[in-house]
Formats: sequence, C-alpha cells, structure tokens
Amino acid sequence: MRINQTGSLLPKVQRGNPVKINVDGKPMDAYEGETVAAALLAAGVYTFHLSLKNKEPRSMYCGMGSCMDCLVTVDGRQSLRACMTQVAEGMQVETCKDPDL
Amino acid sequence: MSETYELAVIGAGPAGMEAAISACQAGVKTVVIDNYPQAGGQYYKALPAAFTASRNSRAEKEGDYLTAQLATMPATKIYNAQAWGIFEEEKGEGWLVAIDGLDAPKEVHTRMLILANGAYETPVAFPGWTLPGVITCGAALTLVKTWRVAPGKVALVTGTGPLLLSAAAHLIEAGVRVVGVCETTRILPKGILYGPTMLGQWQRLQEGAKYLSVMRRGKTPYKTGWSIVEAHGKDHVEEAVIAKVDINSVPIAGTEQTVKVDTVVSGFGLIPNTDLARMIGCKLEYNSKKGGWVPVRDETLQTSLPGVYMAGDGAGIGGAENSRLEGRIVGVAAAVRVGKMSIRKAEEINRKMKPELAQQRRFGRLLGDLFSPKPGLSSLAHDETIICRCEELNKKEILAAIADGGESVTWVKRMTRAGMGMCQGRSCGRQVAQLIAQQNSLDPGQVLPDTQRPPERPIRLEILEENTER
Repeated sequence: MRINQTGSLLPKVQRGNPVKINVDGKPMDAYEGETVAAALLAAGVYTFHLSLKNKEPRSMYCGMGSCMDCLVTVDGRQSLRACMTQVAEGMQVETCKDPDL
Repeated sequence: MSETYELAVIGAGPAGMEAAISACQAGVKTVVIDNYPQAGGQYYKALPAAFTASRNSRAEKEGDYLTAQLATMPATKIYNAQAWGIFEEEKGEGWLVAIDGLDAPKEVHTRMLILANGAYETPVAFPGWTLPGVITCGAALTLVKTWRVAPGKVALVTGTGPLLLSAAAHLIEAGVRVVGVCETTRILPKGILYGPTMLGQWQRLQEGAKYLSVMRRGKTPYKTGWSIVEAHGKDHVEEAVIAKVDINSVPIAGTEQTVKVDTVVSGFGLIPNTDLARMIGCKLEYNSKKGGWVPVRDETLQTSLPGVYMAGDGAGIGGAENSRLEGRIVGVAAAVRVGKMSIRKAEEINRKMKPELAQQRRFGRLLGDLFSPKPGLSSLAHDETIICRCEELNKKEILAAIADGGESVTWVKRMTRAGMGMCQGRSCGRQVAQLIAQQNSLDPGQVLPDTQRPPERPIRLEILEENTER
C-alpha cells in the first residue's frame, strides 16, 4: 500500500510521473523513481520468487541489495534484485520464474 | 583504454562522500563508485530523484548538503554500478577496480583506495524468518521513508538497538499498527553507566524522544528483554510468537505470547561490510563493540595495505557523524600520500576534528556495548530452521558439518556450501561463525570470517567476456 499520510517524520512527498509496468502479464501502476520491489509490495504482490531447492516463497528482506532474496525477471533478464531495479514505462516483470541455469 | 586515477572511493555514503570531497578539494584525481543511482547511502536515504519532498529533516538536509557538494567536485562519479572485484595491478603499484553497471566502464585503475562500504544488518535466524513479510529494520525504513510504501497493516518490531525505535515510529506515522517493539537487550542496569556520554548527544536524545512520543501516540509498548521466537504463515507472515529472554537472549520457556501480524521487522544491529577489504587481504581484528571483524588501521585510517584506507561503518560501526569525520581523515591522508597536501596542513585539519571524533567514538562504544546481539540468539533457530538462505541449509546441517571437525567458516562453507550462494555469506556467515564458536567453546574472535573472492555480488556474465567494448 502506498503511504499518503504525513507527519513529523514523514513530510509530504510528490512522487514521480506515473508509469505502467507489466507484472506476470497484468498491467500495474507505478511511479517514476520507485523500485520494482516498491511497486510490487505496494500492489500487494509479496512472493517475488521461489527458493531453488524447497520452492518456498521469498520476498524482499534487506531492501539494500545485500541478501539477494528479492530476485525477479525484468525484460527477460533473470535474477535481478527488485530492490535495486528502478521501474520504467512498459517494463515487463516476471515473478517466480525458474532461472535457466 | 580504461581511465587511471590517483584515488578510487568505493561507496558514497557519509564517509565516502566526505572522503571524496576532501580529496578533490586538495586536487587529488578521484573516482567515486556507488551501486545506487545517486550518492547518499543507507543513512541519508535520499528520496528517489523523481520524488520531491515538501520539507527536509536535519539528516536529510545534511545528506542533501553533502550530495550537492560532491556533485560540484571534479571527481568522476560512477553510480548505479557495482564494484565487484579489486585486483592488484600486474605491473606497477596500484589497483584495478572491476565494475558492473549498464552505463559504467568495466574497470578503472587507481593508485589508492578508500573503502567506505558501510554496513549491513546482522541476520538472526528464527523459525519463519524467510517468509515474505519478514524484513530488516533498514528495509522497513527504506520502504517507508524513501519509497513511501507500507510493508503491511500490522507489524511487530524486534531485535536490538536504537534503530528499532526509528523503524517503529516511521511505521506508525505511515499508518501501520505496531503491536510492540521487542528489544532483546535488557538495557537499564547497564544503561545508567552511560549517562555522562549521552549528555553530549543532545541531537540523538531529541531524536529518540521524538520516536518514543510517536510510539506513545501509537500505543506501542516498548518491551525490553523480549524477542520474537517464531513467525508463522503459509505464503506470508500471519502471526508471530514472542517470548521473554534471559540476559543472554535465550528465550524463557512458558512466557510465549502469540500476536496476529502481517509484518515482522527484525534488526539486530549492524555488521561492517568488509567484503572488499577481505578480498584484497587487509588485516582484520575482532572488536565486538564495533560490530565484529574490522580492519586494523593506523592513525590516518590506513589499513595494513599501503595506500588502502577504510572509513565509516564499514571499518567498524560508529554512526553517521563518526563516518563523516573518518571520511575527512582518509580524504586528507590520501592527499598527503600523493603530495597534494602538506603533512602540516593535514595535522592541522585533523587536530580540529579531534574532540568531536573522540566524542563520537565514545558514543559508538556505548552503542556497541549496550546493544551487541547476545550469543543466545542463535538458540532461536531450531534444527530445521534455514540458516543459509541462498543454499537453503538448516541448522542441523550446519551443526553436522561442525561436528565433523569444522572449526572455520571457510571449512563449513566447503563442506556444506553455506555462504557459497548468491549473497556470498552476508546472511549466514556470522551465524555459522557463532555456531562454530559455541560448539567448539571458542571466542568469536577465534573464528575468522570466510575468504572472499570476486565477484563480491553476482554480475552479468557478459561482463567477464574479454574484448567486449561498450
């Protein structure tokens, strides 16, 4: 969920221009400046990929490019960190796609 | 032909920015490399460039000031790019820094290095910690402050250290109900000893008071001596179990309570990121008050390798103010080393910073002493709990390798693959080391971190193909 509340710690913010991305074949709204992780979590998509061995759902954990647990496929490029990848108009995002090893 | 510099600064947080500014002001030919699209780092958490804020906090103003100053410096800035390896030059002195970024050169050459890599959060495994909905304190703050997205509707915040209060307060302001902050450390008995140190930390006290007042408004209890023990859910967190813990942070049976939450924010302090330092062979020493393994440095913050300096939290947790001061020290030291500044001038600059540096270091020791995660936290993981998130190895498998004679993290890594996955051991390394220490009755300082080899982060395969021009 996107935050529109403001407070002493959270001043009012003007987001970037709206963009449309495509997630697993469905259109999704996002804003310029957001990461793929931000857009997915805002839309309530929590499972980003399945772990290789046990096929368990994984999502963003560290949010700073360190843990490598928020991997998604973006425009055909697999295993990108959703927390470090910025959205762009027309971007194709795929979750839970088995990487070709 | 790739470019040659006098100085490469890796990491553009408080330490790296100050270092680059100081070096540039003295006329050192400098390149700055950071893996974010803009300078700022994890402390200042700059808003995305496409976002605009109506007003800025003190820290944000400070961050904006530094980024603006850095922007005017003649340094080459390589952002949105990962420095994934550092190699000693085959001929002549200096280093080759290998880089992966869509618009970045594949490598730069440099005579000196300043590593300002910052820190990452101490991972602590508990049953359910790999479930979607379990995030670190840093992730919660990035979500709320930078991206303006709430991680969920109802959250539990747990772990140790002042970052918990910041995360809780920001979540509450974002409209998330925070059912409690479970601080595993019992603060009071020890905290009183530090009263005098805190008096010099007026801004920090004010900040803390602000967080507590937001928590009061949100009716969020601050429970010290409590910890999460489990998170449950099918595809996402649905509930968390908390319990009282003893002085070593071991949960006390029979005190468990279950809370309905969709988000667990866990933060157990910070670990200095020494990945690149270990890769090139900087000598390390163990200092629990600074977050564990830290580089051995001289007065100019030069490591055991000549011309390689380390500054900021990546060289030992000390906070943003300490990082800024250390950044200036290494920037000046680098300038002296290549003859762009006289030793006398450098000494004069350093002398002026001395009182503040001493104060910041006292404060760093206080935090390290009060809030370093206790060894009992490793008992939160059960036999079947995943320790290595990437290779999906559970505690039982790690313990079996240790029982087989594993006395080093590198040995356990070879036997089990723990730490060989995508994250290169940043999630499991510390925990494996702790289990080795416990099982073999060793001090944590006797268990070395694992060997680091390039690439430090996963890189695109095409980057390794030779002769590819960009």
